[in-house]
Amino acid sequence: MAQRPLSTTSPTSSPQSVQRRRRLGRQALWSALFLLLLVALTLLVVLTARHEASRLQEQVDALAADAAAKVRGELLRAQQTLQALAAHAPLPERWRADATELLRQNGELLRIERRGPGWQLGAAVDSPIAPPLFAVIGRSESDIEAAAACAAARRAAAPMFSRSYFVPLAGGGGLEVLDLCLPVLDSGRDDGYQIATLSLPALLAAALTPEQARRHEVSFIEGDGARLARAGVPRGRGVYRADSLIDLPGSTLRLRLDSAAGPPSPIPNLATAAVLGLSVVLFTLALLLARDVGRRARAEGLLAEALAFRKAMEDSLITGLRARDLQGHITYVNPAFCAMVGFTPEELREATVPPYWPSELADTYQQRQASRLAPGAAAQTASREGFETLFMRKNGERFAVMIYEAPLVDGQGRHTGWMSAVLDVSAQRRIEDLSRHQQERLQATARLATIGEMASLLSHELNQPLAAIASYASGSLNLMEQPDADTPAMLRQAMQRVAEQAERAGRVIKSVHDFVRRREQLRESLGVDLLLDAVLPLVRLQARKSGTQVVTDLPQPAPRVLCDRTMVEQVLLNLARNAIQAMEHGSDPAARVLRIRVRQTHERWVTFYAADAGPGIDRELGARLFTPFFTTRSEGMGLGLSLCRTVVEQHGGAMDFDSPVPGTRTGTEFRFTLPAAPALKPAASETDAPQTLST
Amino acid sequence: MSLNLDPTLGLPVVYLVDDEDVVRDALAWLLRSRRLLSEGFGSADVFWQQLQAQRGGDGAWPGSPVCLVLDVRMPGTSGLELFERLVDAALLPVLPVIFLTGHGDVPTAVAAVKRGAFDFVEKPFSNNALVDRIEQALALSAAEVARRREQRNRTRRVAELTEREAEVMRLVIEGHPNKRIADTLGISVRTVEVHRARVFEKMDVKSAVELANRLRESGA
Repeated sequence: MAQRPLSTTSPTSSPQSVQRRRRLGRQALWSALFLLLLVALTLLVVLTARHEASRLQEQVDALAADAAAKVRGELLRAQQTLQALAAHAPLPERWRADATELLRQNGELLRIERRGPGWQLGAAVDSPIAPPLFAVIGRSESDIEAAAACAAARRAAAPMFSRSYFVPLAGGGGLEVLDLCLPVLDSGRDDGYQIATLSLPALLAAALTPEQARRHEVSFIEGDGARLARAGVPRGRGVYRADSLIDLPGSTLRLRLDSAAGPPSPIPNLATAAVLGLSVVLFTLALLLARDVGRRARAEGLLAEALAFRKAMEDSLITGLRARDLQGHITYVNPAFCAMVGFTPEELREATVPPYWPSELADTYQQRQASRLAPGAAAQTASREGFETLFMRKNGERFAVMIYEAPLVDGQGRHTGWMSAVLDVSAQRRIEDLSRHQQERLQATARLATIGEMASLLSHELNQPLAAIASYASGSLNLMEQPDADTPAMLRQAMQRVAEQAERAGRVIKSVHDFVRRREQLRESLGVDLLLDAVLPLVRLQARKSGTQVVTDLPQPAPRVLCDRTMVEQVLLNLARNAIQAMEHGSDPAARVLRIRVRQTHERWVTFYAADAGPGIDRELGARLFTPFFTTRSEGMGLGLSLCRTVVEQHGGAMDFDSPVPGTRTGTEFRFTLPAAPALKPAASETDAPQTLST
Repeated sequence: MSLNLDPTLGLPVVYLVDDEDVVRDALAWLLRSRRLLSEGFGSADVFWQQLQAQRGGDGAWPGSPVCLVLDVRMPGTSGLELFERLVDAALLPVLPVIFLTGHGDVPTAVAAVKRGAFDFVEKPFSNNALVDRIEQALALSAAEVARRREQRNRTRRVAELTEREAEVMRLVIEGHPNKRIADTLGISVRTVEVHRARVFEKMDVKSAVELANRLRESGA
């Protein structure tokens, strides 16, 4: 009991659930695969983007460091140049000329001035290639940064940079600048300062190559990020930024590089990913296709093999196969069928009426086929029981075949025709005929043997007394020729013996007579239909060989006769066999009809008629027909008709014949009468009652 | 027709072997009407036993002409079996056998005749014709009985010769003249002549040729 639910839920319980489970599992696998593929592609895209970003960032970092180094290098060069100016041009005129020259060559230098130890302005030269610097605000109002730098430079006895500051220019604009203060020493004593003002934008512009400048914004910023000066593209995207500090004596500049490149676009990556994904899918599909093609090729191979197998099977069959469509046209035949009928498949397929139908039976077959092929008949005729019919070979030979037919149903379940298996049973029929012949001959021999036995027995039984009688008679004659004294006594003895032996012979004859009489007591009341039913199968068997038709004709209800059943059956069989054999040769096959007719011709008599369509019996033959041991057949005993008449006469009936059959011009009709059974007694009707009920 | 036999041979006897009493009796009666002695036997075995008893061991039986009328088909030992025994016992020439055959036995009877039976007669038989055949058989038997008696006589005579006489007879038959015989046996010609005369007398012959013929006939 506990195992019952287990067994019902076990995977083997239902093949459908197993199939569904398997399909689900396969779907899950496929989903997992796609998910993994998606994750992998996403990761790829993300990582690629990140890699690109970091690469760009590194570029920007490197560029920023590079730019800072360049600015620093520029500033240090400017410092050296100014130191050289201070050292080599002590004279005011010369200094002015050298300073001007210096300013013309270096665009970032805006102004060089010379101040005394007490911060008084000695000389000042503005750059000839830039607008005048302190035109809007005087120099004296914006030299705080320079003064601080100079104080630091004096203390350190080394050049110092000032902090940057803004100088407004004419026209509303302005410029962020930076001062470089150089303490000037003349023979070891303080001789004032040389101050150079440098333009930060010009410094920046020199920091980048034009190529770099197109893609980056470079600027100096303050600690809070405010831009002091800028160069390059108008505005960076703010995504890739790098800051670099430029340490200067006395001051620090913060340089920022901002790339114009934005965050990397996912589109190209996505396209790559899509191409990759599609490739993977394509590859998978190609694999699947290859596998499918392989499987298909294998299936085709198997199919071809199976087809070859089936073909070999059909060809090796000795059973003929025939397929017909619903109109009765042949659509397929196998070699065995062709061999059987002798026509080629083409001939069979092209023929409108099957050429293997015997010409004389074609009409009958046509009707039969029409009825069989009728749409409604499909269900009834689709039985496994075959039917027997007659076919014709190409050489005109008729032969018996057994046909088993089954409906042909196509893949859509439509009924498209009929498939028949055709068996040539002619050989079988021949063997049956042969064995029947043999059996008949055997029976005849057996009958002969029985009669011979009886004759031998009778002759022996009769021979003894007859031989004795003959001996006494001969001996008596011998004695009478030469009589003597003993002769009368001997003759008396002989006569006594003769009388005894004659009596004994009489007893033998009487015992034979008794035997015949005993059979008369076996008579029973019997329906004529029962009599005919008993012999008809045997008669039909014989009739089939020559294609004879057997027709019976008896009134309803069938009359009853009083007869010895076995004997009368023999009479009927004998007459039927004679009739069939009479029609076997020479007569038209279609006319071979054996008619068995029964009529109550008299209140007390029932007459049986057996008519054939044979050549008839001529008068001379007819006269000797019932003579014992007269026969027209080599294997016959000549007892058939004579015995028949004896049997009928023992029943009190009579046997006769007419040739030709009354009302026609051919054939022979034998007839015999049997006593009708008296009207049924109640007891007898009781035994019949179940029969009538069951029918 | 009546039988004329050498009366010294004794009365002829016809043995009837048939299981049918009626037939046997009728036949006996018929033979009696022709003045022939007969003896009936109901079966082959009874006849065989009596035959053995009568024959004894000396081979002198039968002393008179005999004949056997034998039914082919009998219960127990059949006529054919009895016939085979008679053939084995070498009794045929002296005991001629006439078979009585019923319906369908003709081929076996013919075969029996080929093996030495005297004749067969089909039932129902023509009675006097059968008796005629029986008489012919008896005549054959009588001749055989006489021949056997003659042979027995010869054998007895040869047995009566002395040793010397037998030697002389052998050499005479071989065709030697008396002189040579005398040399061979180491006796005088005269003695040979005496022996020779005694041999001729004992063997009841008159010449050497006759002696040789007689000895050849008796198969000695």
